[in-house]
Amino acid sequence: MLTTGFKLWFGFFVAVVLAAVFAGYTSGATETGPISLGWKGGVGNHVSYTILVFAAGVLALFGLVALAFRDADAEAQAEVLGLDEAPEAQAAVGNSLWPIFGALGIGSTGVGLVVHPAIFVTGLCIVAAVAVEWTMTNWSEKVSGDPVANAEARENLMRPIEIPVLGTIGVGVLVLAVSRILLASSVTGAVWVATAVGIVIFGLAVLVSKRPDLPRAAVRGILFVGCVAVLVLGIVTAVSGEREFHHKGGGGHHDDAHAEADH
Amino acid sequence: MTTTDNAAASDSAPTSLEQAVTTTDPVVLGRVWGFGGMTAVLLGAVAGLLVGLERLDLGSADVFGSADEVFQFWSAHRVAFVLLGVLPALMALATTVVPRQCSGPLVFPRAAAMACWTWLIGAGMTVVGFLVDGGLGTPGGGGQREATALTVMGLLLAIGGLLLASVCVMTTIVSGRPAGTGLRDLPYTAWTTLVGATVWTGMLGVLAANAVLAYVDLRGRPAVRFGAEDAIWEQLSWMFTHPAIYVLALPVLGIALDLVSSVTRTEQSNRDVVLVATAAFGFLSFGAFAQTFFDTPGTPIAEEAISVVAAFAIVPVTLAIVGGLADTLRRGAANLGSKPPAEAVCSLLAALLVLAATAVGAVRVIAPLELLDSSVTGAHFALVLGAVVLGVGAGFHHWGEELVGPKGRRPGLFLLGGLAVAGGTVLVGVADLVSGLLDQADFTGVDLATAGNPDSGVGGLNLVSMVGSVVLLAGLGLWMLTGSLHTAANRKGAA
Repeated sequence: MLTTGFKLWFGFFVAVVLAAVFAGYTSGATETGPISLGWKGGVGNHVSYTILVFAAGVLALFGLVALAFRDADAEAQAEVLGLDEAPEAQAAVGNSLWPIFGALGIGSTGVGLVVHPAIFVTGLCIVAAVAVEWTMTNWSEKVSGDPVANAEARENLMRPIEIPVLGTIGVGVLVLAVSRILLASSVTGAVWVATAVGIVIFGLAVLVSKRPDLPRAAVRGILFVGCVAVLVLGIVTAVSGEREFHHKGGGGHHDDAHAEADH
Repeated sequence: MTTTDNAAASDSAPTSLEQAVTTTDPVVLGRVWGFGGMTAVLLGAVAGLLVGLERLDLGSADVFGSADEVFQFWSAHRVAFVLLGVLPALMALATTVVPRQCSGPLVFPRAAAMACWTWLIGAGMTVVGFLVDGGLGTPGGGGQREATALTVMGLLLAIGGLLLASVCVMTTIVSGRPAGTGLRDLPYTAWTTLVGATVWTGMLGVLAANAVLAYVDLRGRPAVRFGAEDAIWEQLSWMFTHPAIYVLALPVLGIALDLVSSVTRTEQSNRDVVLVATAAFGFLSFGAFAQTFFDTPGTPIAEEAISVVAAFAIVPVTLAIVGGLADTLRRGAANLGSKPPAEAVCSLLAALLVLAATAVGAVRVIAPLELLDSSVTGAHFALVLGAVVLGVGAGFHHWGEELVGPKGRRPGLFLLGGLAVAGGTVLVGVADLVSGLLDQADFTGVDLATAGNPDSGVGGLNLVSMVGSVVLLAGLGLWMLTGSLHTAANRKGAA
């Protein structure tokens, strides 16, 4: 049986086809051009004819989609799925990181287009990663009717990829940030910075290991504040630039050994 | 479950910040849309007030340093009201109230969350772009190119967020209804949101294309045409004038129809006529064709028959909708009691302001009067946007219990704020209308020639308009206070 939706779109399709033929013949078409899509004869005004024919194609497609999916009728869906009643149109979803990270990725891409290519590329990487993660989350939610089993299925598949990749990125970013801080400091200052940072990290690690009952939120907070501090300092020092390096023996030699000016 | 499991579960429970940024709950997202939108309206009103102060003396720059700076604030006022203000505020109601009216959840909740955050980031970039000497171009080319690019990019992100949210809302209305509920059975807010979202989805895509064109030409070598500093605003300005801005008023008419029907406990008669009229209102609001920048030799698009007919045709259509509203009010007046609810008063005032705005819009296109570039355009903008702000505020108050919670509602304070918003809008609208009839230009700049060499008397009218801006700002401030007290009371109750 033809559905109501199909009839509506098919009606529009016929009207636009007739409009295309009319437009063709009233704008200089010859022979059967407007009827045969220009196979025998001219179609008249190309612009109006092309727009109308494309519109007719789109409307026909809408009609076929409406027919194929039975106008998204709930009874038809239940019949296809072998159920008494069609499932909810929108299953309840919990909190998700992907929307906010997706928005941040898009935002970074936009800011990067204006400010710097590195930010643009970072944004693209975030968007690509979010696209993969979001897709896998959606896939896992349809594995079974049990949310716990679904979450496990996702973790089994994604954790072996996420942990090494995120670990590598995290280490890389921190190394880069710390190197910027050390390169911006004076020679003696860099030694002091490295010593102080090392002592702080070691001290905190000892504290955490001595107190296993420390709330997880507190550990996460310490790590978060530490990482943000290193990143911010890294960005600030990268912007301010490295200290000056003076090559031994003047600019003509490319000797590995070089002396550094202490500021 | 063991004690260890319990401890681990409580440890890994998300913090309130994590909860807020990862939520897909439409109510929380609605609060972000609503608070962000109303804050932008407040900022836009401040920008409008500063421009109003500058207009007190048309012959010199007193508040700002140059005409370019005035232009930046003048355009920021319009952008903040439309794309950063009332559209997101309408989206707050669309993502929370409309799904409930359709008896189902919001479809694509994660996409709706991403839309909300994308809009917020875009809005932030746009505001920063305006503040760092960017904006959407300047007539004298005095803005910073990079800051202008940032503003355009921010606008693109904001548009992207609004488009994605609109898709979620439209899909919810079209496919999220329970079996057996037709589109004709929908409450008016849901119906007008569907019509409005369909129209602004069609327009925002075109606006995004305009912005992309301007951005691409703006970057790199000197702009050829579209990205020239003095050309960017003209390409985007169609979104902030007749007929495109009417689409913002459509959901407000729907809110008014629902509110009046609810408070008078009276069914709307001639329901199909009102549905058709609101659909016609939406159809007449489509304005992507009215781009003056692309005028070819001959009659400008704003003076073409299609623009003029649309401007006049929308008046009887609005009259039909307001007439339906008045009929319901008349039949149910006995149920109103001695103190009609504040939200009903505000929504009725909003509907009347929309009607007044359509009348001003029709006067504006009468060719012999030559008002298209006069401050009648500003009056038209002020009346439509004032009506929308008033209607959205009424919606927030009416559905505040669902959005924020039951405690701490202050109808008296809300009504006072609403009356101030309405009064301020009328003062600005009437003063600018008369100034336009006395030849004052829409953008007055800092010299008399740019201001259109208006007749004497506009000085007093500009003072009235500035007072109207102050009253409007005071009303918005009162509303923000009401909203904050409402939220605080419920947060306290929850704690």
